[in-house]
Amino acid sequence: MPELDVKAPTITRPPDTGTGTGTGKPLSVTGLRKTYGGVTAVDEVSMEIAAGEFVTFLGSSGSGKTTTLMMIAGFCEPDSGSIVVGGRDVTRLAPQKRGLGFVFQQYLLFPHMTVWDNVAFPLQLRGTPKAELRRRVGETLEMAGLDGMARRRPRELSGGQQQRVALCRALVYRPPVILMDEPLGALDKKLRDQLQTEIKRIQRELGLTVIYVTHDQEEALVLSDRIAVMRDGRIDQFDTPRELFEVPRTPFVADFLGAANFLAGSVEERTSEHTLVRLDTGGLLKARPLADGSGGRVRGAVQPGRITLCPAGDGFCTGTVETVTYVGTLVRVTVRPIGGAETDVVRLELPAGRAPAPGERVGLTAEFADVSVFPDAEHRG
Amino acid sequence: MSMAGSALATKPQPQSQPAPTTPPGRMSRLRRALSERRTRFGLLNAAPVVVYLLILFVYPIFSTLLLSLKGEEGGWTLRWYTDAFQGADLEILLTTLRISAETSLLSLVIGFLLANAVTRLKPLWAGLVMLVVIVPHFISALVRTYGWIILLGEHGVVNNVLTDLHFPGAPFQLLYNETGVVIGTTSVMLPYTVLLLYAVMRGTDRRLLAAAASMGAGRITIFRRVYLPLVAPGLVNAGVLCFILCLGYYLTPALMGGPKQTMVASLIDDQVMKQNQWNGASALGIILLLLTFAGLLLLCLLKSAGEAYRKRGTAS
Repeated sequence: MPELDVKAPTITRPPDTGTGTGTGKPLSVTGLRKTYGGVTAVDEVSMEIAAGEFVTFLGSSGSGKTTTLMMIAGFCEPDSGSIVVGGRDVTRLAPQKRGLGFVFQQYLLFPHMTVWDNVAFPLQLRGTPKAELRRRVGETLEMAGLDGMARRRPRELSGGQQQRVALCRALVYRPPVILMDEPLGALDKKLRDQLQTEIKRIQRELGLTVIYVTHDQEEALVLSDRIAVMRDGRIDQFDTPRELFEVPRTPFVADFLGAANFLAGSVEERTSEHTLVRLDTGGLLKARPLADGSGGRVRGAVQPGRITLCPAGDGFCTGTVETVTYVGTLVRVTVRPIGGAETDVVRLELPAGRAPAPGERVGLTAEFADVSVFPDAEHRG
Repeated sequence: MSMAGSALATKPQPQSQPAPTTPPGRMSRLRRALSERRTRFGLLNAAPVVVYLLILFVYPIFSTLLLSLKGEEGGWTLRWYTDAFQGADLEILLTTLRISAETSLLSLVIGFLLANAVTRLKPLWAGLVMLVVIVPHFISALVRTYGWIILLGEHGVVNNVLTDLHFPGAPFQLLYNETGVVIGTTSVMLPYTVLLLYAVMRGTDRRLLAAAASMGAGRITIFRRVYLPLVAPGLVNAGVLCFILCLGYYLTPALMGGPKQTMVASLIDDQVMKQNQWNGASALGIILLLLTFAGLLLLCLLKSAGEAYRKRGTAS
């Protein structure tokens, strides 16, 4: 592999956008808004993205993540707000004048061109000299492991290969930002995992700035430097995966990313270090400090993996083990708290060796730093 | 279907019965194949089609061919063909080719613009426009041609409007010349080109154009490098079909053309109806048929040339 080492510096050149890369962040979005016939699809979305950052818009369908991406790409026009790419306001520009890269979920390779021609196409548009074009297309295909496929037609490739070609086509001309709209959505699980790793590797190697849209939490966690969790057209929280996971700022984020257990109760004690919550089931839950709100009714949120067993009577809650399901090295356990409603169960994930037996009485406990607490008003309904 | 169902439902009979009397080799294989129920069933199904084609396709063509090769006093001759390629008849043949080419080109251009516009419409409107394009086709071509004659006459609507607008040169001679023939024939051919092109354009993924735009391609580049190559097969098909249909088209050229726009179909009509000259008419018919085949061959050549061109584009 010495050849690769020689070529590496030429690949990792900074993006030559010609729009003054030094003048600003690759992308900043301010107050972006879009309504469709009275329904607000995107509502006051603002964010700044640093060079070389991998940012994911995560949300379920209808959360506005794709609409936001389409507005950045220029395929749909925002009602208000601005989009600035590398210091240049592109809000009202046509897609072809923004100089961005886009990877579609449906690949959208040109069926009448070979793999090589597909990847060469954006360079030809830019009048790249022939020798350089040949070198860059060759390098890009090689990097994506497609060297042998150059003369094939898109329809002769598998879905994963097609998406790799689409990726090559979007990055071969070094756009300042590459937008990806659920690029792995049409692939099966195994291939998806493999391509995730590959996208991440290429992104790191070339220092690409990427905005990625997905509804798959795991995918977002694997790929992203920062994730914008979107709901109802707004960004709930824009943070690193770790922050989102450990310090969720809304119940939605706690639920969507961590699949948290929610435990209802009332604030008993508030200090700057912690909150004590008297749960409706009778136990006392120690949680992180409550960010805002008056106290009163709250809900504590703990992820299944952060709860451990303790002797019955100890911990924040005592209950009866209901189901025990083996999932590889983990065991999923549900516990029905004593004194709780019929529908309330607490979900746990334990190492396989620590599995309790169904019917057993157990106590549940968690480190207070792993417990978030939210005012109850917000997520009811 | 019920027949097929019951045939399949019955218990399979032993397929290879001992046949000691048949000689080994190809004959026995053929016989065994014939004895299979599937084969017999297939032959039974094919019979109506075969009979139909024999009576209505093979027999007429061969009798026409024979007629075109027969001399006036019996015996075989090629003189009807040599006649067709001489003097006035040759000119008519060339006129036919020229008018067909002009009409095909015009139908393609108008058809392309129309089909392209329709693909951009919402489904409801697209359906409505297609209806408007196709419904006139249900009306007799004779009626439509007379309609054109009324519109295009020296004091027809078109010339009146142009004169009122003081358009330089108006009124124009739009009838009984090549302009008239091409306008009339194009209107007849338009539904074919529009339908063919519309089908291809509908099948073209418009998001590909968005993909090209995302890479920085402008409208003209997208059209030239992405859209046109994708709909090219449809253009070739529509063009050749139109050309072939024009070659043998009779009515409109006969009514809207002058003496200089006589086409082969009119010549055939003339020979049969006025001169009772069936042999010459047959020869002209066969020539038209061969021209049609030539058109289809051209279609194949264009397609393989297109493939080769794309392959070559890859090599660079």
